[in-house]
Amino acid sequence: MANDPTRPTLSHIRNFSIIAHIDHGKSTLADRIIQLCGGLSDRELKEQVLDSMDIERERGITIKAQSVTLDYKAEDGRVYQLNFIDTPGHVDFSYEVSRSLYACEGALLVVDAAQGVEAQSVANCYTAIEQGLEVLPVLNKMDLPQADPDAVSHQIEEIIGLDATDACRVSAKSGLGMEGLLERLVRDIPPPKGDVDAPLQALIIDSWFDNYLGVVSLIRLFDGTLEKGDKVLMKSTGRNWEASAVGIFTPKRTETGVLRAGEVGFLVAGIKDIHGAPVGDTITHAKTPQVPRLPGFQKVKPQVYAGMFPISADDYEDFRDALEKLALNDASLDYVPENSDALGFGFRVGFLGTLHMEIVQERLEREYNLDLLTTAPTVVYELAMDSGETLYISNPSKLPDMASVSEMREPIARASILVPQEYVGNVITECVNRRGVQLDLQVLGNQMQLTYELPMSEVVMDFFDRLKSISKGYASLDYSFERFEAAKLVRLDVLINGDRVDALAVIIHRDHAQTRGRVLVEKMKELIPRQMFDVAIQAAIGGHVIARSTVKALRKNVTAKCYGGDVSRKKKLLEKQKEGKKRMKQVGRVEIPQDAFLAVLKTSD
Amino acid sequence: MTARAALPPLALYVHVPWCVRKCPYCDFNSHGVGHGAVLPEAEYVEALIEDLDQDLALIEPRALRSIFIGGGTPSLLSPDAYVRLLEACEARLGFEPGIEITLEANPGTVERTRFEGYRQAGINRLSLGIQSFDDALLAELGRIHSGDDAERAVEAARAAGFYNFNLDLMHGLPGQSVEGALADIERALSLSPEHLSWYQLTLEPNTEFFSHPPRLPEEETLFDIQDEGHARLEAAGLERYEISAYARAGGVDRRARHNLNYWRFGDYLGIGAGAHGKLSRRDADGELTVTRRWKSRQPESYLKRRCDPRGFVAGQRQIERDEIGLEFLMNALRLVEGVPLELWQARTGLSNARLAAQTARARSMTLLAEDPGRIKASPRGLLFLNDLLALCESARVPLE
Repeated sequence: MANDPTRPTLSHIRNFSIIAHIDHGKSTLADRIIQLCGGLSDRELKEQVLDSMDIERERGITIKAQSVTLDYKAEDGRVYQLNFIDTPGHVDFSYEVSRSLYACEGALLVVDAAQGVEAQSVANCYTAIEQGLEVLPVLNKMDLPQADPDAVSHQIEEIIGLDATDACRVSAKSGLGMEGLLERLVRDIPPPKGDVDAPLQALIIDSWFDNYLGVVSLIRLFDGTLEKGDKVLMKSTGRNWEASAVGIFTPKRTETGVLRAGEVGFLVAGIKDIHGAPVGDTITHAKTPQVPRLPGFQKVKPQVYAGMFPISADDYEDFRDALEKLALNDASLDYVPENSDALGFGFRVGFLGTLHMEIVQERLEREYNLDLLTTAPTVVYELAMDSGETLYISNPSKLPDMASVSEMREPIARASILVPQEYVGNVITECVNRRGVQLDLQVLGNQMQLTYELPMSEVVMDFFDRLKSISKGYASLDYSFERFEAAKLVRLDVLINGDRVDALAVIIHRDHAQTRGRVLVEKMKELIPRQMFDVAIQAAIGGHVIARSTVKALRKNVTAKCYGGDVSRKKKLLEKQKEGKKRMKQVGRVEIPQDAFLAVLKTSD
Repeated sequence: MTARAALPPLALYVHVPWCVRKCPYCDFNSHGVGHGAVLPEAEYVEALIEDLDQDLALIEPRALRSIFIGGGTPSLLSPDAYVRLLEACEARLGFEPGIEITLEANPGTVERTRFEGYRQAGINRLSLGIQSFDDALLAELGRIHSGDDAERAVEAARAAGFYNFNLDLMHGLPGQSVEGALADIERALSLSPEHLSWYQLTLEPNTEFFSHPPRLPEEETLFDIQDEGHARLEAAGLERYEISAYARAGGVDRRARHNLNYWRFGDYLGIGAGAHGKLSRRDADGELTVTRRWKSRQPESYLKRRCDPRGFVAGQRQIERDEIGLEFLMNALRLVEGVPLELWQARTGLSNARLAAQTARARSMTLLAEDPGRIKASPRGLLFLNDLLALCESARVPLE
């Protein structure tokens, strides 16, 4: 196939992504495109092939970028090579989106014709337009009776400023309009520019670790030709490697032996460490080191940090190994050892957001069979010290003596919220309660777009969940870090039976301390099960207790039941009990469940 | 010490899998057959004897110390059935002097007429499934007898020559108040039982109550019922010797000998549909192994096993060395007086060092009694037995 003279040239290549909100049908649409192009037989076409991680499939979201190369025979009789690069759909993973878009000349903006535009899609769409991509609006779910394509087209024009008069109207589910969509795709999205004979210049869109192959990189070639056996140079590390396998995803990994300018495919080069093929790096041939680096991507910074501890101290080594392995596939994962008085040895792990945190915990537990406890996530605070030094604190219990701190600053996020007009009042109230400052408010058809500056800590907690619940699920959110700003912050300590539990400390605004402290101890009282003795919960600032509650001791815990000779009955009871304790951590004598460590996230209800 | 002398005492459990009606709380192997159903009685008894013969081939025979016929409702079978069965048991294993032979019986009208026959068959202890004296609650529990039936059953049992009987009484019943529970206790006490099993209603998986839970009393009410009921029973001369078992204090030992054998980790054969047995063996080096065996569960398939080369056994499993200690403690710690320390090594084959390791955390939390000669829960340990066992379960014990 590599030397096939009929193989399409650059003018037949179309590189595209799909921008869509969760639930707007991206995966179904992708599956339908793959099927129409014969990428997989019906028998092979499992539901939603692109979301390959178990967790991705269960949660219906995409975490990692993926790609698939397809052949499409268009009405003009030519065969086009379509390279579809999948993008994640959740706000936590927006940096992955810009990476995927970088490899494309066009994008399909998929909007649910019944639900309308959501903030996340707007943000991603802007990114695409900024990067010079041709964006094709697509109205999906046209088979639904409540589909309102005219209103949604209007909305796309108002909110995004994209001409949607002749937007493709499709139903990925039923197949309606799909042929027309593919025709539009090859007509409107421009082919890549590039020179197959120029020196090699390729960009690493993503890298992941495969147990058999080592590091596999998804790459986009801008110029030149890459063949199996070539000596390649990683521009950032200056190291040379031999390309041991080169090819495309169909979506199965298929070796073709060659990739040319404009194409998207994979490279395996015997690299054992993900940092040897960093995302955003430029690849060229060893013999053409003068080829300049492509702009690449900004390294993503974790927005939230949390302590993660093995429930059983014996699992520490396994936990460390698991994190190492997970980090091979997740360059955004950042971790350092942490030692907590209450929880023992663990790690402080940085995440892109709370969803990222949940997914990491779930993967560690599921794929590495660990029982873990995660402390409440916190943002990073900036401390100006009297000495002139600047400190960044990602762990409330490591806050230095406040006497030596001249100013404490919190991260501020710029948040964009799209919401139907009837819920705007609720959203504004919520933003005010979270110390938000309104920057802008625009009416866009029946939707409103609100722009706020909010403390990042307020955004990453349960803000998104709250927005959803006060808008019957209609509000959508996009946010990004803006700057650090001085704030009156205090550390709220939690004492269990008189002992300060470092892992429960949180940094909060002084004006909220009293209320939050009271709600927190009440919430924890509900979450900590009754035990053999009273459990006193106190919230304190400095040495001063501001709220308290008590979990009364159980009077007894014994099952008065006849079992006879079948010992399995008795054992079941013990197992049930053990199951209940799985997510509990012994702090002193007290068993504290995972939920209680996260109680502070729920204190705004 | 000869291998034979070192084996624990032997008891026999016989399971009768039928009931007139399955109670909504019951998760035992029982199958409702309706009123007046004709049971394959003779066939079942022959199966039981064949089942026993198959087990005997695997064990070191010892004279039986106790037999317990449970169910289901064993009083659905006629006295003749038990004459035949008990004769066969005695011929094969022999009975220790003073053997305890218990039959579970329902207090219904039909059953009462059979008590005399049961006594003559050699049964010397009756366990009556009263559960409550409150007719409304009995109906909710799916029982087919009334509170008055229960009283008449006790009279009939005494008249038939049963001077040793147990009442099964439940508490924590749907909507039950402390007063209601105490009223049940008063009526039970008025019948002067030698033994009382007083246990709490729990909702078990695979029961009607589990899928359609009744409204149970609040946790605090449950605690009050337990505390006040316990005090009342002890004041009336019934002494608690196990978490939910009370026996008349003073004079003849009325503790259930058969159950004591479970709690002291003795051996038992289990015959009948779904019956479980536990058997110890010592190899030539004196190494102890303990095996659990269980029988085919469905009555029909159990009976079919008569002509099956596999026999009646549905499964068996040797208890792993790292589980046996916990199984021992799960039983022994239910006894108020605990068990002598020597029993640990004799019954589990494990060292005292291992016991110390397994119980270290529980001991440090004062859940075990400070009695060097016994393995015994402290009064606090009895109150928090579930926690005590969880601590023993989670203990990391070095391999030997």
